[in-house]
Parts: sequence; C-alpha cells; structure tokens
Amino acid sequence: MPCLEIRGLTVDFGGIHALKEVSLSARTGQIVGLIGPNGAGKSTLLNCISGLTRPTEGEGRLDGTDLFSLSPHAISRLGVGRVFQHPEIMADMTVMDNLLIARNRFLKYGVLAELLGLPQVRRQEAESRFAAEQVLMRIGLPDIGGIHAGSLPYGHRKLLEVGRSLLLGATVLLLDEPVAGLNEHEIDRMATLLAELRTGGGLAVILVEHNMGLVSRLCDEVVVLDIGKVIARGTPTEVLNDPAVLLAYLGEG
Amino acid sequence: MADAKKHTGRAVVVLVGLVVLTAPFWMSGYPVYVLSLVGIFGLVAIGLNFLTGYAGQISLGHAGFFAIGAYTTALLTKKAGLPFVLSLPLAGVFATAVGAVAALPALRLKNLYLAIATLGFGVVVQKLLFEWQSLTGGGAGLEVPAPRLGPIVLSTAGHMYYLILAVVILGTWAALNIARTGSGRAMVMVRESEVAAGCLGISVAKYKVIAFSLSGFYTAIAGGLYCYLVRYINPESFNIHMSITFLSMIVIGGLGTIPGSLLGAVFYVLAPELFRGIKDAPGLVFGLSLVVVMVLMPKGLWGFVGRLWRRA
Amino acid sequence: MFFFSLIIGGLASGSLYAMVGIAIVLVLQASDIPNFAQGEMAMFSTFVGYWILQQYNVSWWSAVLLSLLFAAVLGVAVQQLVIRPLLGRPTMNLVIATLGLNIVLHSLAGMIWGNETHVFPSPLSDALPLNVAGLTIPPMNVFIILVGVALILCLTFIIRKTRAGIALRAASQNQAVARLMGISINRAFAVAWGLGGLAGGIAGVLVAPVLFLDTNMMGLLLIKGFAGGVLGGLNSLGGVFAGGLFLGVIENLMGAYISGSFGEALVFLLIIGVLIVAPEGVFGRVRTRKV
Repeated sequence: MPCLEIRGLTVDFGGIHALKEVSLSARTGQIVGLIGPNGAGKSTLLNCISGLTRPTEGEGRLDGTDLFSLSPHAISRLGVGRVFQHPEIMADMTVMDNLLIARNRFLKYGVLAELLGLPQVRRQEAESRFAAEQVLMRIGLPDIGGIHAGSLPYGHRKLLEVGRSLLLGATVLLLDEPVAGLNEHEIDRMATLLAELRTGGGLAVILVEHNMGLVSRLCDEVVVLDIGKVIARGTPTEVLNDPAVLLAYLGEG
Repeated sequence: MADAKKHTGRAVVVLVGLVVLTAPFWMSGYPVYVLSLVGIFGLVAIGLNFLTGYAGQISLGHAGFFAIGAYTTALLTKKAGLPFVLSLPLAGVFATAVGAVAALPALRLKNLYLAIATLGFGVVVQKLLFEWQSLTGGGAGLEVPAPRLGPIVLSTAGHMYYLILAVVILGTWAALNIARTGSGRAMVMVRESEVAAGCLGISVAKYKVIAFSLSGFYTAIAGGLYCYLVRYINPESFNIHMSITFLSMIVIGGLGTIPGSLLGAVFYVLAPELFRGIKDAPGLVFGLSLVVVMVLMPKGLWGFVGRLWRRA
Repeated sequence: MFFFSLIIGGLASGSLYAMVGIAIVLVLQASDIPNFAQGEMAMFSTFVGYWILQQYNVSWWSAVLLSLLFAAVLGVAVQQLVIRPLLGRPTMNLVIATLGLNIVLHSLAGMIWGNETHVFPSPLSDALPLNVAGLTIPPMNVFIILVGVALILCLTFIIRKTRAGIALRAASQNQAVARLMGISINRAFAVAWGLGGLAGGIAGVLVAPVLFLDTNMMGLLLIKGFAGGVLGGLNSLGGVFAGGLFLGVIENLMGAYISGSFGEALVFLLIIGVLIVAPEGVFGRVRTRKV
C-alpha cells in the first residue's frame, strides 16, 4: 500500500523561499490536488519528489524509503511516475517506441545481447510490446501504436504521457497540469481516465491543476500553496470556499 | 500504385546489392578501393551516429577513435603477429574502454563545451601517437602488414573489399538491432530530454557512457580496416579536419539514422571524386554542396529520399 | 625574466584568440549558432586588405580600414544570405552550412589569390623592440594586446549603452518580447554578425604580419578562439576575453616549461579539467531549464 509522505519541505534558491515547511501525503487510491497561483511552488514540489530539485530541508518518504537522497532515475524505479506540463516525447519515433521506453527499467538484457540479436532480447521486446498494447487500450487509444509520435495531437500526447507512467509501473503519479491546453472533449477524456485510475486502485496521485472543475470532480483532498507555503487544506468544497484561498488567487492579479 | 512502389524499391535494393556484391569482378582497382573507403567511412558514420545522432552528444574528436583503431590493429598485427580476426575485435574492445573513460568528463557537458572537450580528446590522441615514437613510429608513420588468418593473406584489393563488406553488413545488422531495442530508445530519450529520461527510470549517465563506448567500438573497427586497406598510417592524417569531416558526413547523410550513415559515407567519398574533374575548384564545389544540401534537405540525404518516396 | 616575456607573448596570442572568441560569441549569443566560417571570413577580408594595399597606393591604415569594412559587410552578407533562410532549422544543419561556407571561402581565396605565402606588412614591422625593465618586448605584441583591450571595451560599451546594442541583447534573450517592443530581430542579428565579422577581421589583420598571410592562416586560430571561449564561458564577452587570454598565456608557459610539442595537447587536457569542474566555463552561468 504505497504511501507518499512529505514533511517540512523547504527549498531555498539563493534567498528566495520557493517552498517553506510544506507537508503533504498521498495514499493508494487517493487523488490529492495541489493548487495555487502561479509561482506558488507547485512544480518545485513535484520536482523535489521526482528528484530533480534538492530540498534545503525536509523529509520525503515513499513507504518509508527516503526519496530526497536518491537520483531521479532511482526514484522513478521505485514507482514514482511524472507527467510534465509539456509532453516530452520522442517525435521521430513511433508511439509504441515512446511507450516502450518506460519498460526499460524492466529489461534484463545488455548492449552485447542487443548487438547480437539474442533470443532473450526478442522475447522481452515482445513482452514489452504486449504490455504496451494493454496500456494503449487502457488509455483509450488502442490503434495508434504504429503512428509517428510527432504527428500526435496535443491531447493524445498528454494521454500518452500518462500511459507511459502506467507502463513504468508507477504506484505514485505526479501530474503537472494534465489538462492544460486541452479542449473540452479532451479534458473529459483525461478526467475519465484519471477517475478510472482512482477507482481501479493501486495508485496514489498528486494532481497539480488550475482547472477547478477537474479538481472538485477528482480530488479527495486539496492542498493550497501560495508563495511557497500551505495556506489551506481540506476537501475540494472546503478549500474552494476558503476566503484565504480566494484572496490568494485574486490578489495575484 | 503501392505495389509498383514496392517493386521499384525492391528492384533498386537488389540492383545495388548485386553491384556491391560483385564489384571486384568487373570494376578496376581504383573504384574498388573507393568503394572500400565508403564501407569504412560507413562504419565510422554508424558509430558517430550512435553518439551524436541518437544520443545527441556532439563529438569533434572521432578521428581519435579512428586512429586508436588503426594503430591498435596495426601494432597487434605487426608486433604481436595476430590474425585480423583477433586484431580487429581487440582494437574495438580497447577503443570501447577508452570511450567509456572519455565519456566520464563529458557527462555534464553540452553543445560547444562538449564539442571542444571532444576536440581536445582527438588532439590528445593525435599528439600521443606523434610523440610515442618508440611504439608508433611517430611522424615517420607505420607500415602495416597485410591482414592474415593462418595461411590466408588478404593481399589484394578484392580481398580487402570483401572483408570490409562483410564487416559492414554485420555492423549494419547489429546497429539496426540496437536502434530497435532498449538502448536505441534510451539514447534517443536522453537526447530528447535528460530530465524526462531520468523520470522514466533511465540512467542518463549510463547511456551516455554506452553511446561513447559503442561509438568508439564501431569507429575503431573502421580504423582497423582502414589501416589494412591503406597499409601505411601516419598521425598527421588523424587530425581535427578528419573529425569535422566525420561530423559533416552524418549530418549530410541523415542524423540519427543508419541508412543515413551509409548515404553520408557514399556522399563523402564519392562527391570529391565527382568534383575532381572540375578544374581548380573541387573544394569550392564541395563546400557549396554542403550548404546546398543543408538548405534543400534539412533531414539530410536519407530524409530527402524518404520525402521523395512518400510523394511517389 | 624569461617568465615575464612568456606572459607578454601569451597575452598577445591570447588577445588574438580572444578576438576570434568574441566574434564567435557575439553571433552565438544573438542567433545561437557557432559560426565555423569565422576563421576563413577573417582570412578572406585580410586578403582583400592585402590586395588593396598591393594594387592601390594607399596607406596601411586605409587598406586595413577597408579590409575591416569588408569584414563587417561580409558578416552581414553571410547572415542575410546563408543564415537567415536557414533559421528554424536544427542547429546542426546550420553548423554544417557554416562549415561548408568555410570550405567555400578557403577555396575561393586560393583561386583568387593563390596558395603561396605572402608577407603582410605592418606599421610596426620596422619598429624597434621595446625595452621595459630589462625585458625585450616585440612592439607588435603590445599593439595586439592594446587592440584586444580596446575592442572589448568598445564592444561592451556598444552592447550596454547604444540602442543597437540594447536591441541586440533584447533580441537574443527573448525574441517574442523584443518584437513586441518594436525591435527588428533581423536588424539586431545583422548588427551582431557585422560586429562579429569586424572582430574576426581585426584578428586577421593582426595575425597576418606575425604568421604570414596565406589561406591556412586562420585555421588553428579559429579552433583556439572557440577553445578560449569555452574555457572562459560563452555567456559573456568578458568571459570569452578572459578565457582567450588565459589560453594564450597557459599555452606559452606549458610549451616552454613542460614540453614544446605536447604543449598543445596539455592545454586541451587542462580545458577538459576545467570543464569537469565548471561545465559552462570558468565564468559561465549554468542555465537551468524550467520543467
């Protein structure tokens, strides 16, 4: 039962407090929303969990394992999946290749075996391909495996990124504005997928979003950041009616 | 319509294959030599493409790996009397180790900084070869005996051509294997976004080292074949100019593609031959051709072929 | 004493590296392209100056001035005719295009002026060596150092205080915003390439009297210019300048005290060593990308 626990997270960038004493936790089957005006430190928080930024102070544990001393690739191998604001896909490769990259951590063959075209390589590739096809079905895009990834529309790219994290075997999913830039239909599709992931169990999700409708619909708990500090915490209804939260958003204009 | 395309494609491949397989029987010595060079540079291009095309790590020092391959093979043959089936792979393995070590300082470097660091690598290798006269003969160069395997001596142009052809076919097949599997994908992801790669469980450092090592391996094997082909090597030729030439070759051919590597080699060896006839201006026309190809074919020759193919 | 004369000599060659480095960085900062044709562009404009000097009865200074004018115009021409059409393409493609241009200019120069070596005069060729505190210093070295310093000061002034310079900085930092402010990106880039060509041309006319004028004159200088820039850090003119000077001095010292022939290789090993510790040069700022 994966459990992500962040305590007292502080990040200083040469005098600027990007984050101050932030605490957060997420359990399996839970979607925790992380909202706040621009520059509040939401992406910084995700970056700390992913290992891309070193915190100045604080503790972060995934099922008791200390995250903040690990490299990004070690953290992702523990099961922390990251979906970035702007999809980072290999445009010159196929959708299938873009998914298969997530299976690299499970592959048990080396460069020499690849060069020689040994049977275990072919076998593991076939297994990976099968798993990838399953994920494509799960995200609702069963037939796009052979398509050139560069030609995918933006909405599909974002779904692909979520799929990639699933294929990675993520038990914790860090989503950075998954519906930003999507039209209504695409938002709905993403929301349905995320809802399914939540009911399907097995995943703890931290969702950074500006789309409050999505936040209300999906999140069990919402944490509000402003200028690096937590200013509110509770259910979506509680938080979205909190005057301090409204002030933080209105005050930024 | 699609059928006609497929048939034409097959016909072209078969024709080229036939020409390539039978060349020494109906071509004279010089064209066979030129084709041998194409094969050698094709291997270099594949090697460099792993590093610069796939993994996105620019190298202006690959003449260094080429030289390491050439000299290691030459010395193993000359001083240890090894057959080519041992000298070539051993040279490759040595270069792989050098590549792995050379990768370490390069892990945090990008763009021009990486370019200059790799340039430095090439300069250091060249200088070492010049200065270590007792081993390499220094500026006087080194004569290379013909490659042998037991009683078999590959003494003619035709022999060398087939050895090179065999290595190129094997090397291309192996390279395609890499491109299609975990390492190929990982290298491209490292190029695309080191950050995202890390978050997908890929060790960026590991794959940069793999890219350098693999690249060194292919380029060194090519260097070994080169020393057997030309039978005399001198540190003078493994210079910055050669490294820059290698880089141009893969960009012209098609960065990050294996057919592009081979096409780039074809262009690089054959173009000067074509321009040789133009009085006084082989360099001029060649330089212009570089600019023209870059203007008209942003994805290189292979990309252009692909575009023509899709439009047909 | 010998040590100090090595330093002075090193500062002189370092100034030349710095000038080439500045030419490269001006263009790199503006259009994000390393101009591999810079060396031969400078060689070409120096030949033009030499030709003017030979053909017409003008003073050395007039010939050089015209040569520098040509260098600046050549820079702009290259930017307008070769670079501008290729904007938006992958950087590698542009690099190879400049490499092609390098070869073209090299060949053209050979075709026009031949491949022999020429003596390029300088007003200081007959000047007596300076005698400072017991040291014999070639006046050319002093002149080169002074020109280098003057160049960096002038360029820094231009970049910081003039409208063209400020426009250039805006254009290189954020094209979208610069456009909104009414800055012509094209004009800003043309200025950068013109200034770059000028800096390269200055290096050319200063190196010609020392190394003799031939088509291969600038080849190694270009590489050293890049190397010095990388050493100091490609973010700033000052960094590039310092890097070039440092490279010249270290090269001289290593060549004299450690090993003449291996000196060059050692310098590169040093650069690699510096880069391990400072991946973007001594004075470079590591730019982080927002994710």
